[in-house]
Amino acid sequence: MTAVITTRGLVKRFGRLRAVDGIDLDVRTGDIYGFLGANGSGKTTTVRMLLGLVLPTSGEIELLGGRMPRAGRRVLPRVGALIEGPAHYGHLSGRENLALLDAAGPGGSWRTRRRRIDEVLEQVGLAGVGRRPVKAYSLGMRQRLGLAGALLRRPELLVLDEPTNGLDPQGITEVRELLLDLHRGGTTVFLSSHLLAEVEQLCSRVGVLDRGRLVLQDELATLTAPTGATVVHTPTPDRVRATLDGRVTAVDGQRVVVLGADPAEVNARLVSAGIAVNGLALERPTLEEVVLAATGTSTDRVDARP
Amino acid sequence: MLVSTPPLIGALPASDAEVPAADLRRAVLASADVGFSGYAESAGGLLLPVTDQLTSIADLFSDRTEMRVWWRSPTDHRVDVITAAGETSTHRDECGTWIWEYERATATRAESTPFALPAPSDLLPASLGRRLLSEATDDELSRIGARNVSGFNALGLRLVPDEAASSVGRVDVWVDPRSGLPLQVQVYEKGVDRPALDTRFLDFEVGRPSADVTAFTPPPAARIREAREAEIVLEAGRRIDPVPLPAELAGLPRLQIEGVPSAIGLYGRGVTLLAVTPVPQRLARGLRNAMAQSLDAVRDAAGTRLAAGPVGLMLVEPPGRGSYVLTGTVTLDALATAGAQLPGGSS
Amino acid sequence: MIAVELRKMFRRPRTWATIAVLNALPVLVAVLLVVTDLAPRPGEGPPFLSAVLSNGALYPLAALAIVLPLFLPIAVAVIAGDSVAGEAQAGTLRYLLARPAGRTRLLVAKLIAVLAFVLVTVLVVAGVGYVVGATLFEAQPAVGTSVSGTSLTAQELGVRTLLAIGYVAVSMLGVAAFALFFSTLTDSPLGATMGALAVLVTSSLLFTLDAASPIAPYLPTRYWLAFVDFFRDPILWRDITRGLALQGVYVGVLLAAAWANFTTKDVTS
Repeated sequence: MTAVITTRGLVKRFGRLRAVDGIDLDVRTGDIYGFLGANGSGKTTTVRMLLGLVLPTSGEIELLGGRMPRAGRRVLPRVGALIEGPAHYGHLSGRENLALLDAAGPGGSWRTRRRRIDEVLEQVGLAGVGRRPVKAYSLGMRQRLGLAGALLRRPELLVLDEPTNGLDPQGITEVRELLLDLHRGGTTVFLSSHLLAEVEQLCSRVGVLDRGRLVLQDELATLTAPTGATVVHTPTPDRVRATLDGRVTAVDGQRVVVLGADPAEVNARLVSAGIAVNGLALERPTLEEVVLAATGTSTDRVDARP
Repeated sequence: MLVSTPPLIGALPASDAEVPAADLRRAVLASADVGFSGYAESAGGLLLPVTDQLTSIADLFSDRTEMRVWWRSPTDHRVDVITAAGETSTHRDECGTWIWEYERATATRAESTPFALPAPSDLLPASLGRRLLSEATDDELSRIGARNVSGFNALGLRLVPDEAASSVGRVDVWVDPRSGLPLQVQVYEKGVDRPALDTRFLDFEVGRPSADVTAFTPPPAARIREAREAEIVLEAGRRIDPVPLPAELAGLPRLQIEGVPSAIGLYGRGVTLLAVTPVPQRLARGLRNAMAQSLDAVRDAAGTRLAAGPVGLMLVEPPGRGSYVLTGTVTLDALATAGAQLPGGSS
Repeated sequence: MIAVELRKMFRRPRTWATIAVLNALPVLVAVLLVVTDLAPRPGEGPPFLSAVLSNGALYPLAALAIVLPLFLPIAVAVIAGDSVAGEAQAGTLRYLLARPAGRTRLLVAKLIAVLAFVLVTVLVVAGVGYVVGATLFEAQPAVGTSVSGTSLTAQELGVRTLLAIGYVAVSMLGVAAFALFFSTLTDSPLGATMGALAVLVTSSLLFTLDAASPIAPYLPTRYWLAFVDFFRDPILWRDITRGLALQGVYVGVLLAAAWANFTTKDVTS
């Protein structure tokens, strides 16, 4: 697997503030990479540095094999981006907006432009929008149009910042399906979000940013791997504790956590003791638990200094 | 880069040639027929006491005037006074002048008279320098080094008037030694270090310009009129009852100039000039009121007097007799002395 | 890229609204002149206006002179000030740069679009002035009188009018350069426009001040009115060449500054 995005010691300082503080991203071909972080953790600055909008204070960025920002003209046409919400010329129609954006840089032939625009509008569900100016669009429609702009040149890499912002539940599902579809077609997706659920449902790899530092970066499967304990649901937790003396680590209502990575073995012991078992599963941490363990307090919380 | 050239040229060192003052003056006086063209700017505060009809002359001597000039000879030249939105061109030919005022679309014809009112060409460094030096004596002149005027090496000639009555401290004339044409003239009031009048060429070229440029034919749409200003002044002079004026005032001898009515007395020499004329009561009253509004006016038994730069103005009203107006480039003390020497004065 | 910027500029309703407003004033002045038959007194009012009553062929110039001191620079400052800062405020700048449009290319394209706006605006003002002059006044295209009182043929008058239009356009280029430079400094198009206008107001004010005479030759508005000099006979090139050189230096320096700033700037809008 080759690297799509690699950063080494990436730092961005704004005055005295270190917005991004030495991060080493590693996104590989075929990933759906979830870039998690609270608001103000440096997510947006990192995305902007990847796309050459913000110039790093120090560190290196490699994007699709080219050093950014120098290689921007070569590699950026192969990247589709949605950065901090969509932005369009309100007095023009969606179709005209896409045509202008496509004509503004290299790698978008005007011969195929019309066809490509029709295709992406179809893909994001705006095929029937007509000549209406963008200022008459709803927030969700603008989000879809932004996504269409990112898809216009069939990019190898999609960099998406909060792509489901402003969409209704059906819209969110549609976008998720679309991204999974594109991913199956070979597109690598870099998804920056503060929504844990979205990342958990979609992503194969996760990086967690906290106050400018990358505190976690791994396969989602590894992060949420079984802990070696089994969760037992039973109406009689006290009898479980009595039977499996010493192996019970936690009791929470009818939920009992028992040491032992073999649910069958735990089940056999309980059943032989005549204890009713309603449910039985390997214990896995949720992404939320992993993230909370890796990060500290909320970044927008301001405590009094002692 | 072009923009930085004016100060650069001004900063170039000038070389001083060993030309005696008297020779330089002769060169200047002989330069009237040297053809040239250029662009001149004059800045000065010589306020002349004038009536409404003569305001354009007052404009000429106060404030800043930009002029374009083509000079073939004293009787064939053209001077355009440039304003932001128009211009006033004065075309001189053998018999008189055409004055074209663009904004009025008016062409005014004036026949030449011995007594001529100030014209824009009088402010050109070449004409002004020549006139101021014309009556200077060699004793009054000295050399003052050289300077660069619009890219030309100009030799300095200083005139310090002999007359004690003169209000002019000195006149510095900067002369192009090859053509003898003054390129800059600065007139200083006694005891003042800033020139009261400073006129200089900004662009200058020696060579007779083409006659097409100086000739004038009124355009078809123009209004054409005859000039009356000089006549107004002369007529006013003729109407005044002649008063016998002394042959000398404040130590300045009387000048005899053809065409000037005998009621008007002109005294002095070179840069030091004094004009005296009796005025009717009505005019005297208006003048007195106008002068009374000036804080600088001096009023005593001798009369009311006022100085605007080197130009002094005095109103003398002897009891029981007609009034006089005295004006010229003389000190206030000299004005008072002159006023006392007039018939009916307080001496 | 240039085509894209031109399309954006001229497909924008605001561009045409600006041009329309700009033309309203000279048309209003012309109508008032015809209705009241009161020409401005000599030496007052904009150049050429007093001459228009006798020759309507001069109205294109009078129209330019009417809008030159205030309306034209405001219009240019609004459009040029909006060029980069407007994209930043709308958020489209980040998409253009990530496209990637290339910062230098984008700046050059913006400049050319502004240049096109200046030219179109000046030409439209002159064109509307021509139509107004021909319909409302007595036009005498066969004869023209120069400011110096000489006669100009229709051809000479036409050539000089074109030169004057070109000169006014170059003067406006200086305004555009200021606004474009400020536009790269801020994300607020209004701020950029106001910055450019503040420079012009300061310049006009200093020009009237004797104490500022040492710096007067370097004020950006110093030679604006020199377009009148094309109609003196012979043409007075002195201020025209100085005006062109001055605008050239301003445009060069400001564009270099705009380029240096824009290519190294963090786009966080």
